[in-house]
Amino acid sequence: MSAALLSVRALSKSFGGLRALDAVDLELTAGEILGVIGPNGAGKTTLFSLIAGSLQPTSGEVLFEGTPVTGRSAHRLVRGGIVRTHQIVRPFANLTVLENVTVAALHGNRRADIPARHRAPRVLEFVGLADRADQLPGQLTLAGRKRLELARALATIPRVLLLDEVIAGVNPAEAVALAALVRRVRDELGTSIIMIEHVMPAVMSLSDRVLVLDHGKKIAQGTPAEVVRDPGVIEAYLGTSSEATAP
Amino acid sequence: MERFIDLSLSAIMLAGLYATMAYGLGLIYGVLRVVNLAHGGVIMAGAYLGWVLFERWGIDPYLALPLVIVASFLLGIVMYRLLVRHLPRGPAGGPASLLLLFGTWLVLRNVSYLLFTGNDQAIRTSYSTASVPFLGTFVSVNRLGVLAVAVVLPILLQLLLKKTYTGRAIRAVAQNADSCTLVGVDVERIYALTFGLGTALAGVAGLLSATIFSFNPGFGSGELLKSFVVVVLGGLGSILGVGLAAFILAVVEVFAILVLPSYLTSAVGFVMLVFVLVLRPGGLFGQRVLG
Amino acid sequence: MSVSTPDLVPPRVAAGFAAGVVLLAVAPWALDLSPYSHNLVTLAFLLISGAVAWNWMGGFLGQISFGHAALFGLGGFVSARLLLSGPVPAPLAWLVGGLVAGVFSLGAHPALRLRGPYFSIATIGLGEAVRLIFTYWEDFTGGASGLSLPIDPDMKHQLYWWGLGLAAIVVAVSWLMRHSTFGLQLLAIKADVDAAGDVGVSATFYQDLVFVLSGAVVGVSGGLYASYFSFIEPNDMFGFDRSIAFVLMTVIGGVGTILGPVLGAIVFVLLRQYLLASYPDLYLGLYGALLILIILFEPLGMAGLLRRLGHLLRRRRVPAAAAGGTP
Repeated sequence: MSAALLSVRALSKSFGGLRALDAVDLELTAGEILGVIGPNGAGKTTLFSLIAGSLQPTSGEVLFEGTPVTGRSAHRLVRGGIVRTHQIVRPFANLTVLENVTVAALHGNRRADIPARHRAPRVLEFVGLADRADQLPGQLTLAGRKRLELARALATIPRVLLLDEVIAGVNPAEAVALAALVRRVRDELGTSIIMIEHVMPAVMSLSDRVLVLDHGKKIAQGTPAEVVRDPGVIEAYLGTSSEATAP
Repeated sequence: MERFIDLSLSAIMLAGLYATMAYGLGLIYGVLRVVNLAHGGVIMAGAYLGWVLFERWGIDPYLALPLVIVASFLLGIVMYRLLVRHLPRGPAGGPASLLLLFGTWLVLRNVSYLLFTGNDQAIRTSYSTASVPFLGTFVSVNRLGVLAVAVVLPILLQLLLKKTYTGRAIRAVAQNADSCTLVGVDVERIYALTFGLGTALAGVAGLLSATIFSFNPGFGSGELLKSFVVVVLGGLGSILGVGLAAFILAVVEVFAILVLPSYLTSAVGFVMLVFVLVLRPGGLFGQRVLG
Repeated sequence: MSVSTPDLVPPRVAAGFAAGVVLLAVAPWALDLSPYSHNLVTLAFLLISGAVAWNWMGGFLGQISFGHAALFGLGGFVSARLLLSGPVPAPLAWLVGGLVAGVFSLGAHPALRLRGPYFSIATIGLGEAVRLIFTYWEDFTGGASGLSLPIDPDMKHQLYWWGLGLAAIVVAVSWLMRHSTFGLQLLAIKADVDAAGDVGVSATFYQDLVFVLSGAVVGVSGGLYASYFSFIEPNDMFGFDRSIAFVLMTVIGGVGTILGPVLGAIVFVLLRQYLLASYPDLYLGLYGALLILIILFEPLGMAGLLRRLGHLLRRRRVPAAAAGGTP
């Protein structure tokens, strides 16, 4: 096997009779941005939850740097270097922006060399929230809260960052800024990223490779250009292929 | 053998009682996502109301049923409109709702204490001790009555939920309150109504209990816990689930008498509660909703 | 951007706290307290310790326990038994009581995994189960007749300073907890236990730790309580009313704050004396009503009210200063 940073093999999850994820394989190489797209309900967030430890898989395995980490709890995985953000942001509403990030900084990747209290402000600067350090999450705009969600994840100094629709839902200007930020995370911090996204222009321009899920199964994988032309993908989106070319 | 039948019949009757109580608690939680910690207090209030009606005006408890239902229902509406309505919705409201309803329970306890003193009371009718022969043993007439009511009421409620517009509205609100607002359902009214229905069931359970057990202002905490056991074990989805869970609890309790010294039998409910909660972390609350 | 990391304990706070403790320590002589007042304040110290410790669970972690009496009673009876068994120094007995209570809290670990209302209801069940078991474990608790310790007026008098010491330590720990990164994590768990896990916080670890600390402190306070009254019985020590007291004190005073449980405990002690004397039949209902009012109008209880008052006063002062005149 090539030196894949993260490997997922035949990962499946069933909820009672519902097969949310069906034998999905994926590989993430170091320094890569892997996009994950698919219609609603395709199982994308379930995939993240399984990798990041929020859910236990029904079968299959997850390997991180060759070591099996299947089924480990979320907090252990975070310490190992895998962290996820949430599709609907979940800031700690009772803590300030800075405190939110500080909590995350406390337990990050053991290889960290900067003490948590100093890491937090730096992360805030990186995502552009330094001037809002003492505000409560409720006082931020949605874009601000998305940046906070990202900042919290970054504070754990991840090797693998799972971004769940970090761009969707904000206005176009903010979307461009957030996309640029995601690229900086990979370019400047060297973090490998898997990103779920509905905003096609963003995911297509950012991703090195794209994986397509539909009804819990992987139906296509390749470069953005390849995937966009894949007939199976077009059919899965059924008539919304025009999204891929929308500005 | 006689003893076995005796105990089994006791278990069946208790099961009916527990099912009624649990349904009341579960209804409120399923729709409002609020655990009514005053549930025990309402049960106690129902018991006292029945007792007063009987002692003062000689109204037979089974005749008093409609009165107790209405009164408990109104109590619930008042509790909702006055208090619960103001709680923040969602997870933030969690501790707040527990404490608010707990405070309400304390007030109910104290009011009962002031009105009726702390002495044990019970409803003893002319037929309290009458019994009919059954399967070689005797069954108390009163217990049969309790069973009958305890079975009929939840079934009626289930019919209400499935067949009437209001019932469907309640189930819809339980699933997604926001969508309901969008389609014109008066969610606040449904919440109040549901709370009232929940307390009505509790009040009835209290009335029925009063004909079997003795009670005082402190009555109800055990019943709260047992209702909780039944709801967690049986889920909110079906009346059969509630009934089955209630039956399991009743059977365990009743037959524990054979094995445990008498003082520990009341601990059975508590221990079951802890077991059930631990074996089903998070409970079934989150997943199965009315519908 | 440079962030000034605030001192964990600002010098002014430390000085104020130390001064307060010293003042309280010399008060019995300086103010020539009557035995009645002396004892009342002692009791207040014990209740403060319990309430502050309960608040670590209920206020910082957000897990509302209605069963803390189990830990209180455990500490009290273990301590009393030790004192009855031989020439054991009282502080050691109290500590052992706290230790046992702490270990018992650890045993409740499965219950700690429960969320919100489930946890609270489980504590009701646990508390009552413990009460029943210990009430009938007559060999250990003396059953309905309880345990009597030899009456020791010197000890009762000295309990003032032991109680002050315990309360001071507990309040200091509370401050440190709240203002350190440890406290931040507790609050994160309180806000969203899953999201906390998703950023690396091991919720079960912190929940266990805080529960053990809380239980141990409450157990120690139970031990002191036993020595204070020289007589304890299971229905009182393990009773639901006692569990309720922890909740009431903290919520009325201000759940989640540091000062709150202190204020709440003081008010509770005073109110209880007054109510027991004048309106013994009303106190549950009064507390219930207070609880309702607080949840509806000022969730941070008395501490919250004080905070609002402080804001109001500050606002009044500023315009006067701006106008250049004296207020």
